[in-house]
Amino acid sequence: MKTILVVDDEQNIRFLYKEELEDAGYKVSVAATGEEAFKKLKKQVPDLIILDIKMPGMDGIEVMRKIKDEKGDIPIILCSAYGQYKQDFRVWASDAYVVKSADLRELKLTIKEIFNQLKAG
Amino acid sequence: MTESSLGLEILQEVTRIANSTLDLDETLEKIIPVIKNKMHMDACAIYLINESDRLLHLKASMGLPDKAMHINLGIGQGVTGWVAQQGRSLALSEAMQDPRFVYFPEIEEEKFSSMLSVPILANCPPLGVINVHSIEKRVFSPEEISVLETIAGQVTGCLRNAIQFHRNQMTLKETRILYDISLAVQSTLKLEHGLWIILSAITMGEAGGFNRAMLFTLNEKNQRLQGIMGLGPDSQEDAVRVWTELNKKKGDLLQWVIKEAQRDLHRDSPFHNFVCGLSYPVTANDNILSETVLQKKPFNITKAKEHQLVSQEFIDALGVDSFATVPLIAHEEVLGVILVDNRYDQKPITEENLRFLTRFTVYASWVIENSRLFSKLLDTNRELLSMKEQLVQAERLSALGEMAAEVAHEIKNPLVSIGGFARRLKDKMTHLSQKWEDNNDLKSAANYSEIISSEVDRLERLLKNTLIYSKSGTLETEECQLNKLIEEVLYLFKSGLYEKNIHLVTDLQTDLPLLKLDQQKIKQVLINLFYNALESLSLGGLLKVETFQEEYAQKQKMITVRVEDTGGGIPQQVFENIFNPFFTTKHTGTGLGLSICRKIIENHGGTIRVENQLGKGVIVYLHLPLQNSPDYIKN
Repeated sequence: MKTILVVDDEQNIRFLYKEELEDAGYKVSVAATGEEAFKKLKKQVPDLIILDIKMPGMDGIEVMRKIKDEKGDIPIILCSAYGQYKQDFRVWASDAYVVKSADLRELKLTIKEIFNQLKAG
Repeated sequence: MTESSLGLEILQEVTRIANSTLDLDETLEKIIPVIKNKMHMDACAIYLINESDRLLHLKASMGLPDKAMHINLGIGQGVTGWVAQQGRSLALSEAMQDPRFVYFPEIEEEKFSSMLSVPILANCPPLGVINVHSIEKRVFSPEEISVLETIAGQVTGCLRNAIQFHRNQMTLKETRILYDISLAVQSTLKLEHGLWIILSAITMGEAGGFNRAMLFTLNEKNQRLQGIMGLGPDSQEDAVRVWTELNKKKGDLLQWVIKEAQRDLHRDSPFHNFVCGLSYPVTANDNILSETVLQKKPFNITKAKEHQLVSQEFIDALGVDSFATVPLIAHEEVLGVILVDNRYDQKPITEENLRFLTRFTVYASWVIENSRLFSKLLDTNRELLSMKEQLVQAERLSALGEMAAEVAHEIKNPLVSIGGFARRLKDKMTHLSQKWEDNNDLKSAANYSEIISSEVDRLERLLKNTLIYSKSGTLETEECQLNKLIEEVLYLFKSGLYEKNIHLVTDLQTDLPLLKLDQQKIKQVLINLFYNALESLSLGGLLKVETFQEEYAQKQKMITVRVEDTGGGIPQQVFENIFNPFFTTKHTGTGLGLSICRKIIENHGGTIRVENQLGKGVIVYLHLPLQNSPDYIKN
């Protein structure tokens, strides 16, 4: 079973993602901050990470940079409430960028695509 | 009384008169009666050679009719002319019998029998002649001749003094005029007025005295000399009128010139308009104006028709055969040419005239250079002002958007939760209601959560549209050189940096690729950053601006602008709020400066980062991406 780490400072969002993704057949762990995410990464490296960009403390982009530097190529999906980071070149280092929505179909589709690509590659 | 003691007495008297005044005419008027009376003559006359027409003018006389005062004799003409030509005395007891004698009715010489004529000698050629006449026929004694010759010598001294005095007076007058004109020039910052004052000085009788003056400026772009101003009468009649008027204004030249300059009347003059229609290329060996520019020296053309570089067309246009040209030079750079002529009185242009003119052109060069610098300053100021206005405008506009964005942001996350769980609820309900098909409550509950999620969808769409709208305007990007942009903006700060004693160091990587930027907006950002730096450097210091290319996470190429100051940094509490809209430490301004900067940079896909080193200074990084955003990004 594929494992996914969800990093978001909003408790309810973490809960929502966990429920939805578990229903979709993934094993999901959550972290509320970048620091917490790194603690979890030390214990277990997931197959994919979903990162909220706007978080207090270390923001999602910084977290991503550190993960890419330290852990190598774990697929990362960046999320934000709005598309304002679309033009930000630092986001381009991620594997995908998804704007948050109550409708999670797009997020789930993106996850699927990334795993399919990995399988193909 | 013996003849020799008579001689002594006359000489003493003449010397006393000569030393009592510097005014030549007065001296001569006083000497004449002494000579006439003491020598017991019936008439005495002093002729001086006029420098410009080389004729002997009767300057003072006694015993001659009034009409004689207007007589001018050619050198060599008559007895007086012969003496002036030969530089030798001539004593004739029967003057009219002498072959050299020419009868001038004005002098009514027929009533005199004898005459003695001695030259006023400084060196050769003589300066004039003194004549004495007697009605009674007589023979002049050697003593008498020698007395008159000695007197002539005394007059020579007077003449020398007078000439020296006159020269001093001229220099004094010239200095005064130069001073007046320089004051007048300083009274105006308008190029046109300044130039008009200069040309007035050149053409005014008291000063330059040229009939007409024309000014051409060098257009560096097309390398042509363009006529921009002409000053002078339009015709012979006009010339007479203008000069009479000018003579009346001798009193307060300075005030008159300043007042006249502001009236802008010269623009209506046909001569001015004629000059404005002239334009000549700056090419070697082509025309005299261009030669003046290229050789950087004045030309005094006396026979224009024979001059290689003066075309017949040019002569016809000017209507003169002689004129002079002088280059206008400031900082070794030629700004233009002034051309003068004496079309109406045909006076030849002397070397002294030319020297005076050259001295004047220095002022004209100043005027042009000053006005060039001044207009540059005005342009810069104007640009800064409009930039500032744009900044304020942008700040105001985005204040509202910023607030909307902040609120919207806070709403989005709960909305995602509400909508997300409503969807889950709906799925669960639908699932349950399939199990218990007859349970209507479950069906209604499924319907309710459906309503919640569709309403959340509506809100999400609304927020998305609102946020797109609140984005600070669309960018008008075009490829440009970032370094050039930076240099342009730094140029605006040049005087500010200098005033505050701030040392500017720039290190701009030369081979940066072109960037697609909205130049106006990026300029706003740079101005904002430099303003902040300048404010922190109120006591002077260092401002360092660098650009370089680097990579982000070994993946994305970007160009970085680094702005460092030594202004001591920002207090921690302020630093935490620098990107917060509406936070400000200034009394004026909205506090949106840096938050707008960030928005502009983010709209370009870049980031802005501020490093605060308390006690040292601030470093601001602008990272701008080189590539366009890839298309894999999901909306």
